[in-house]
Amino acid sequence: MLTKELLSYIMDIGEQMLVSGAEVNRVEDSISRICKAYDAKRVDVFTITSSIVVSLQSKNGNTLTQTRRILKYATDLDKLDRLNNLSHYICAHKPEAEYISNEIEKIGSRHKYGPNVQYLVYGVIAGTFTVFYGGDLNDAVVSAAIGMILKSVITFIQRLDKNVFIVNILCSFIVGLLGVLLVRTGIGHSFDKIAIGNIMLLIPGLALTNSIRDIISGDTIAGLLRLCEAILVALSISFGFGLVSVFVGGMFK
Amino acid sequence: MIPTFQIILAFIGSLGFSILFNIKGRKIWYAALGGMVAWMIYLLGGLWLSSEMTQYFVSAIIVTFYSELCARIEKTPATTFLTAAIIPLVPGRALYYTMSYAINNRIVEFADYGSYTVSIAVAIAAGIMVASSLFRIFFALRSYEYRHH
Repeated sequence: MLTKELLSYIMDIGEQMLVSGAEVNRVEDSISRICKAYDAKRVDVFTITSSIVVSLQSKNGNTLTQTRRILKYATDLDKLDRLNNLSHYICAHKPEAEYISNEIEKIGSRHKYGPNVQYLVYGVIAGTFTVFYGGDLNDAVVSAAIGMILKSVITFIQRLDKNVFIVNILCSFIVGLLGVLLVRTGIGHSFDKIAIGNIMLLIPGLALTNSIRDIISGDTIAGLLRLCEAILVALSISFGFGLVSVFVGGMFK
Repeated sequence: MIPTFQIILAFIGSLGFSILFNIKGRKIWYAALGGMVAWMIYLLGGLWLSSEMTQYFVSAIIVTFYSELCARIEKTPATTFLTAAIIPLVPGRALYYTMSYAINNRIVEFADYGSYTVSIAVAIAAGIMVASSLFRIFFALRSYEYRHH
């Protein structure tokens, strides 16, 4: 039996999926499948990157509508995987609303990689890609150090301001500034390789891939929105580096 | 640089990103291996394909196929693997040079590198698009047959 409460839990699943990095098509599909499993006569789901609207008609003629506004994304593919399994389970077994809410809570509170691992990974990724694109060992070390600093900067700025563009401008500004300083003191050798290694951490790879996938599945609006966001993030990274050159004067050789 | 070394670095890079995206368990290794495959195909493509864009295109197709297959094996969305595996192909270097030319007011190089960056992105996107469309059709056909026999 579809109640307001149950629909709200179903919306939770959809919302969490979208936030963790699912394509729009998957979110719409999951929500409408679950609603159909609970005997809805008709389900209309409309999802774009920033909002989910669900309107459904139950067998006894009641109409229920709920919307969700999505403000923040946090890629978490393990969560997506679990939510996906949960939604399959719900479709097959039609559990009580209480069970669903418990499961969602369980998924929300499960183990994540700790901050230490994250710092390490930031360093490793930055260093790896610096060498990947032709930097030497010095560059790799500098780049890894900047990568770790970048992680702390991201954590810090996100506490102050959640705006994606501001975060990216400031992050790339700090990466650029540190890179220039360390190259000028002679520790790093080539600024460009160091910068590229760190750009790989900021670049909106997931947004780009997902936007294309959305467009193929026919969700043109959602795909274009995501594409615009990806392009704006890329631009704001460039602005950050541009800002560095204003401060230090002609760092790019 | 020695290609083998670069392939190993692609593996480490994708491994890093799969931890960053919070992939768990043995799925991490699938994703990291995907990154390795991506760069391997890209380098192999360089041996007989004439244009760099085709290299990116073919590589994206293979990686998407790989991710979809892994997704079927592990019963999880293909995004899980594709996201981290596609990372070595992402045009970070090209993006950087585009922007550095823009800042240095070297318009000709900027236009060159800008269109180069966009073409890489489009080539990768097209590769993903082709492979996942084919996969969709293939599975639609299979479930169609299943229903009618």
